[in-house]
Amino acid sequence: MTLSRVLIAEDDVDIQKVIRMSLKMRGVQEIVVTENGEDCLAQLRNFQPDVILLDVMMPKLNGYETCKRLKANPATSGIPVIFLTAKAQHFEVKEGLDAGALGYLIKPFDPMTLHDQIAALLQKK
Amino acid sequence: MVTLIEIFDSLASGVIAVDLENRVAFLNRAMCRRLGVKAEDWVGRHAAELLGLIAPRLISAEEKFVMRLGWQQDPEAKLSHQLEWKTDDGIVHLREDSGPLRSSEGKLIGRVFVYHDISREKDIDRMKSEFISVASHELRTPMTSIKGSVDLILSGFAGEITSDAQELLEIAQKSCDRLIRLINDILDLSKIEAGQIKLNLARMDLTDIVQRSVRGVRQIADQAEVNLRVHRPSDLPQVEVDKDRIEQVVTNLLSNAIKFSPAQAEVRVDLTAADGWVQCAVVDAGCGISEKDVPKVFGKFQQVGEKRKGGTGLGLAITQALIQEHHGKIWIESKVNVGTSFIFRLPAATG
Repeated sequence: MTLSRVLIAEDDVDIQKVIRMSLKMRGVQEIVVTENGEDCLAQLRNFQPDVILLDVMMPKLNGYETCKRLKANPATSGIPVIFLTAKAQHFEVKEGLDAGALGYLIKPFDPMTLHDQIAALLQKK
Repeated sequence: MVTLIEIFDSLASGVIAVDLENRVAFLNRAMCRRLGVKAEDWVGRHAAELLGLIAPRLISAEEKFVMRLGWQQDPEAKLSHQLEWKTDDGIVHLREDSGPLRSSEGKLIGRVFVYHDISREKDIDRMKSEFISVASHELRTPMTSIKGSVDLILSGFAGEITSDAQELLEIAQKSCDRLIRLINDILDLSKIEAGQIKLNLARMDLTDIVQRSVRGVRQIADQAEVNLRVHRPSDLPQVEVDKDRIEQVVTNLLSNAIKFSPAQAEVRVDLTAADGWVQCAVVDAGCGISEKDVPKVFGKFQQVGEKRKGGTGLGLAITQALIQEHHGKIWIESKVNVGTSFIFRLPAATG
C-alpha cells in the first residue's frame, strides 16, 4: 500500500521536516503540515487526506482533543488518525486510542520505516 | 502510669475494634474525630450502624471493602484497602488495614481496623508520575529530530556523502540509539520502582515465553557464533505472568549470556519445577564473575569485568525489579573462567 495524501499536525519545526522528508522519500505526493489541532481541523475543509498524523502536545488544541473532534464530526470521522507522539506512557497510549485513533506511534520513530508502519496500520483497518 | 487507651487516643490513625458479633468494642479519638461521633455513644452498637455513617463519605465502589462484616468467614485474613474519604475540605486518601483481634491468651475475640491518612504519599506518587511523563516527553522530542536527521542522511536521501562522513554519522547513529535505549530503561525502571507498572497477568507455560525470547536473540547469537539450547521437563506447571515483561527478562538474560560468551560456546536455558516454583536458569560458559563483583551485578549502571560490552547498565536492575513484581526471586551462580548462571523462580500457578 502506498500513501499519497497525508495531513500532519506537529508543532516542532524540526520534527515536521523529518516526517515530511521520510514520507517524501517513499513517494507520498501531497503532504500538508499544520502546527496545531485547530489548524489541522481547519485544513480539512479543503484537503482530504488518506491519513492524519497527530502530535499530542500542541498549542491551541492538543492531539487528543483534536482526534475527539474529528471523530465526532460525520464529515471527518472516517479519516484514519494515527498519533505520532513522545507521550509514551501506558495511560497516554490508552487515551489516544480511546479518543478514536487507529494507531499510536511513539517518538523517536525510525524515518526509514515510518511509511510502512503507517501503511500496516491502515491495512489492518 | 500511661494507659493503653491514652496511647491509642494519641495516635494520628483512626482505630476501630469490633467483637465476634460485630459490636463496636473500641473507637479511638482520631476515628471519633473523623466520623464526628463520641466513643461512648457507639461502644456496644452494631458495626453495621457505624458503616452507615462511613459509607456516604466514600466513593460507592469502595463500600464493599470497608469493615467487611462477614470477616468471620476468614478471621485470620490480614487485609489492606485504599479508600477515598470525602470531607468538607476535599478528598482524603485513607488506607484501611485490618486483622484478627486476640486476647492475651491468643484467643480470637474480634477484629481491629486501622485507618491511616496516606494523602501525602498519594501526592508524592502523583508528582512522580508527572515527572516521569514530562521527562519522557522532553527527552524524546529532541531525540526524534536527531535520530530522524542522521538516519535520513545515512539513507542517502540528502545526497551522497563521503566515507569519512558516513563513518562519523554511523557513530552518531549508534550513540543516538543507545541514548534512546537509556531513556527507555531509565523511565521503565522509574515506573517499576514507583509501583506504576500494570502487569497483564495470564496463565501460561514459561517454555513458550522462553522460545519467543530465543527466536528474538537468534540473530545476535548467530553473529556471535553462540549455540542456543533449551532444556525442559515434559510436565512443567504453568505460571501466572505478564508475558511481555517475562519475555523482556529472558531476552535480557539471554543477550547478556551471548555477549559474554566466546565463539562456539553454548548458552543453555534450563527449565525445572520444584516446591511450588518454576525455575529458569540461563547458563553460559563465559568468563564468569568474581566473588567480589557478584553483589554489584543487579545494581544500576554497574558493569563488572574489564571491558564494557555496550548496554545501558540498567538491564539487570530492571530484570530484578520485574521478577520481584511477579513475587519471584532471582540470583546468580558464577565461577571465574567457567561460566555464569542467572536463575529466576516464579510461583507456579495454583488451583
